Amino acid sequence: MSLNLLRRCARSLSTAAPSYPFSKIAVIPPAPATPPPAPLLQGKGLMAHLADTLPSADKLRLLKTYFSKRHPLRILPGSVLSVTMGHAPTQFTGVLLSVRRRGIDTSIVLRNVVNRIGVEMQVFVASPHLKDIKIVQRAGGGTGQGKTGKRMRRAKLFYLRDSPEKMSSISAGLRG
Amino acid sequence: MIGLKGTLNVIDNSGALLIECVNVLKQKVNNGWGGVGDEIVCVVKRARPIATASGSNVVKVRRGDVRRAVIVRTKKSVRRPDGRYIKFDDNAAVLLNNKREMLGTRIAGVVSADLRMKGWGKIVSLAPKVI
Repeated sequence: MSLNLLRRCARSLSTAAPSYPFSKIAVIPPAPATPPPAPLLQGKGLMAHLADTLPSADKLRLLKTYFSKRHPLRILPGSVLSVTMGHAPTQFTGVLLSVRRRGIDTSIVLRNVVNRIGVEMQVFVASPHLKDIKIVQRAGGGTGQGKTGKRMRRAKLFYLRDSPEKMSSISAGLRG
Repeated sequence: MIGLKGTLNVIDNSGALLIECVNVLKQKVNNGWGGVGDEIVCVVKRARPIATASGSNVVKVRRGDVRRAVIVRTKKSVRRPDGRYIKFDDNAAVLLNNKREMLGTRIAGVVSADLRMKGWGKIVSLAPKVI
């Protein structure tokens, strides 16, 4: 009986994640080491706190490097990206038309021409369904090593919807 | 978002080229607009000229026929359950008969993968590319 008491004390003192009895998939993160500061408990700075804690670590890294405004390795519109999702259709490759930066709601629009039909997909970067983003070609041609690529003169390349010749010039640089 | 007077390209080999929507069937949500995977009643506006000696047993439609069709691509973006949005550059459909079977035998072009979720697995399996 004293052993049980000892076990219960040890369990309450441990910082391991508590188990959720109704689902095996649910992940309950362990409580943070430091308690939340008093202004946060009142609700001040809540959205900024969520922006730092809600996405997983590698999603946060993605957001802070590839999709930030000034990082040396950020992805410029006009690059060709290939995204891999968790379920069908798994792969989509396309030219990056726009990056909509809203913290955790950051999304990108990729455009591709498949069987002579233009297809656009808007992908939310922090989604857990998004498995991988590969940079096939940086903007203005070139490999993904080091340089960001040549900057297009627009932040949003929606004019590519009306000019198939500019789209094919980007893809020609890809295959060449 | 296809409604009355909306035109769609036909991407199977039934002979029709352009159809105009007249009614969207069974659509009580979305304010009556049709999206990918919805059945519509349509009028054939333009069709391929029918050869008099036709060896194949595919039903060829004429201009002015009233048929049913299922929408396979829309210009309006469609939300997938995982949160991404897909839109195509045109509206397209595949003709059907009254028993929800395809009139044509082949499909040319891309179709949307939302068809599978709405129960049109046969069309998805015939399509050369599903996005």
